[in-house]
Amino acid sequence: MNTELLNEISENLQRGKAKVVKELVQKALDEGLEPGAILNEGLLSGMNVIGEKFKTNEVYVPEVLVAARAMNMGVGVLKPYLAEAGVKAAGRVCIGTVQGDLHDIGKNLVKLMFEGKGLEVIDLGTDVSPDTFVQTAIDQNCQIIACSALLTTTMGVMEEVVKKAEAAGIRDKVKIMIGGAPVDDAYCKKIGADVYTPDAASAADAAVELCKALAS
Amino acid sequence: MTEKTVTVTVDGIPHVCETGAVLGDILSRDGSLAMPCGGHGRCGKCRVRASGEISPPDEKETKLLSGAELEAGVRLACRVTVLGDCAVSIPQEKGSARIRTEGELPSFEMNPAFSRAGAAVDIGTTTLAARLYGPDGSILAEDTRLNPESAFGADVITRMEAALAGHAGEIAASVRSAVNDMIHTLTREAGLPEGSPDAAVITGNTVMLYLLTGTDTEPLTHAPFHAPRLFGETVRAAELELDSLDPEAAVYFPPCAGAFVGADMLCSLLSSDICRKSGTRLLTDIGTNGEMILKHGDKLYAASTAAGPAFEGAGISMGMGGRDGAVDRVRVTDGVIEAHVIGDAEPVGICGSGLVDAVAALLETELLDETGYLEDDPAVILDPVCLTQDDIRAVQLAKSAIHAGLRTLLVTAGADCGDVKELGVAGGFGSYLDIRNAGAIGLLPEELLPKVRVLGNAALAGASMLLLSRDLREECEAEAARVELVSLAANPTFAAEYMERMMF
Repeated sequence: MNTELLNEISENLQRGKAKVVKELVQKALDEGLEPGAILNEGLLSGMNVIGEKFKTNEVYVPEVLVAARAMNMGVGVLKPYLAEAGVKAAGRVCIGTVQGDLHDIGKNLVKLMFEGKGLEVIDLGTDVSPDTFVQTAIDQNCQIIACSALLTTTMGVMEEVVKKAEAAGIRDKVKIMIGGAPVDDAYCKKIGADVYTPDAASAADAAVELCKALAS
Repeated sequence: MTEKTVTVTVDGIPHVCETGAVLGDILSRDGSLAMPCGGHGRCGKCRVRASGEISPPDEKETKLLSGAELEAGVRLACRVTVLGDCAVSIPQEKGSARIRTEGELPSFEMNPAFSRAGAAVDIGTTTLAARLYGPDGSILAEDTRLNPESAFGADVITRMEAALAGHAGEIAASVRSAVNDMIHTLTREAGLPEGSPDAAVITGNTVMLYLLTGTDTEPLTHAPFHAPRLFGETVRAAELELDSLDPEAAVYFPPCAGAFVGADMLCSLLSSDICRKSGTRLLTDIGTNGEMILKHGDKLYAASTAAGPAFEGAGISMGMGGRDGAVDRVRVTDGVIEAHVIGDAEPVGICGSGLVDAVAALLETELLDETGYLEDDPAVILDPVCLTQDDIRAVQLAKSAIHAGLRTLLVTAGADCGDVKELGVAGGFGSYLDIRNAGAIGLLPEELLPKVRVLGNAALAGASMLLLSRDLREECEAEAARVELVSLAANPTFAAEYMERMMF
C-alpha cells in the first residue's frame, strides 16, 4: 500500500492545506487505496497529531480549525466511497451549549475533535434545552450527549440534562459528557454525568472509549 | 463534629470564628483579601501564609502552588478549612494602585444639578473613581480606590453568582460604604461640612449599578441577557444609604443600553463627543469585557465581548494590577528585551500594559511565532517575571475577542476600517497601552492605529458632564435608546473573525 501518499495526506492536513488534502485523497482513491485506510491512516491520523499537540499546548485553536477544515474537505471526497465500502462511524454524538448560554467556540472545537476521531456529530448549536438534548439522543440513536457551558450561572442546566435522561430511561444506552471553563470532575460526579475532560482532544479520546464500551 | 470557637490570628490580630469555616470567607468579608474567582480555587490569587490547625492542601492547591510555596506554608485561602487555632499572614500589596481619573470634558452649557457641591462617581468592576465639583464647575477634590466587591469575585459573572447565592445585601453594602468613604474624604478635602454634597451622578456598567442599587441581577446571568432596569433615573440619597450626601440629594444613574453595554459606556460616549462629530467613529473600553460603540451614518451600534481578565493582570501566571513591582513597559533595544518596573521596585509581576508590550517584544525577537507557539516556555521578560505558554494563549483569546468585536461591528453596520475617522480608547488600561504594540499583537486593527485617541476615564468625565449640565441627561438617554445591540456570541462574522485574529 502507498503509505507515502497517506503520510502526505496526514502532513498536509496538519498544515491546514485543505485543497491539497482534497486532491491527494482523490489521487489515493484513483490509485485504488482502501477508503477506510485513507480515512484512518491519512485523515484521522493527521488530525490525531494535531489533537495531541493541542493537548500539550503546542498548537492552538486556529491550527485545529484549519486542520479540521482540511479534514472535512478530504472526508467530503471520501464519503460516497466509505458508504459503499460499508465503513461505519465510530459512534454518534449530539453536542450543544446548554440553555441560557450562547458561547459556542469551545463546543465547536470539541465537535471538530470528535469528527477527527471518526465520530458522527449532531450539532445542536447553543442555548439548547435539556429536552432537546435527550429527544435528539433518542430520535437519532446517539451513544453520547455532550454538554458545554461557559458561565457559572448556566452550568446548572447540565444537571437537568442528566435528570431528563434518567426520566426518559436512556441512561443505560446514552453516556453524558460535560465540559467548559466552570465545570470540573468533581462537578461531573456531583450531578451524575459520566465524563468530564479538561480539553477538547481528551474529550474526543474519552468519547471513542465510551462508544467502544457501549458496543461491547 | 460539632463546631467550636477558635482563634484565627490574621497578621497579629486575633479573630474569633468557628471550626469548619473557610479561611477565604473570613478574610474576604472585611475586604482584607480579594478572591478574584469567587473562591472556586481556579485563579490561585488568594495566596496567604497559614499555619496551625488547618486542613491539608487539596488537589487544586497542589496544582496551583509550587513545591517551594507549599513547603513555605503558602496556601490558597479559599481552599483552607479552619480546624482549630491558626495564624495567617496576608502578603501586602505595596504601593497604591494607578487608577486614572482625568478625561477631558468637551465644551457644553453649565446647568448644575446641585447648589452646594456635587459628586460624580464611576463604579468600575475593579476600581472606583470619584470627583467633587463646585457650583462653578471647578473640581474641588478627587479620589480613587479599589472596588471592595472584588472580595466576591473579580468579574461580573462571579459577583452576580455571589449575589444570587444570598450575598446581594453584603455586596451592595460594601460598595455603598466605599462610595460613602470616598465622598466623605472629598468633602473634607474641599473644606465643606459633612453631608453637604446635594447631588450625585453614579455611573458604571449595568451589573455594577444593579449590585449597588440592590436590583435583582438574575436576568443578567443567562441568555437572552435581558436587562429589565435600564436606569436613566433619579433616586434619593437616603434610599441608597448614601449618608455622605444630603439625605434629600438626588442621585442620578445614567442610562444603560443593555445588560453588557452600561451607563459607563453611555457616559464615555457623551464625553468623547463622538455623536456631535461627523463621520464614522468608534469607541471602545478594554477591560474584562471589551465594550464598543460604533457611530455610522445616523446609527449607533454597540457590542460587548468577553475578553477575560488577562489585561487586568488576572488569569496570567505572574499577572498583577498596575502597582509597585509590576512590569509596565517592555521594549526591544538591539535585539535585547528591556523592561521597566513601576516604583523602581523589585519586579514581582506584570500588569496589562506590560503584558501587551512583552508579547510584542517576544514576537519581535522571534521567541514567539505567529501561531502563538513559544520557543522556550516560559519566556523570561525580566527575571523572575516571565510569561508561560498558557499566558500567551490567554492573551490570544483576549486580543482576538476585542479585535474581532471591532471588525464585526463595522461589518454589521456595512462599514470598514477605511471609513473610520476616530477610534476612542477609554478606560484605565487604554490610557497606559502602547498603541503601536497593541497593533503589533493584533489587539487593535492595524489600519485604525493612526485614528486612535486615548480618552482616559471617559466614563467619569461623562458622569461629570451629567452632573454639571442637567440638559445633557435627556440627550444621553435619547442616545441610549437608539443604540442597536449587536450580539456577538451568535454572530457568524464574529466567530470567523475571532478565529482569524487569534494568530499574531
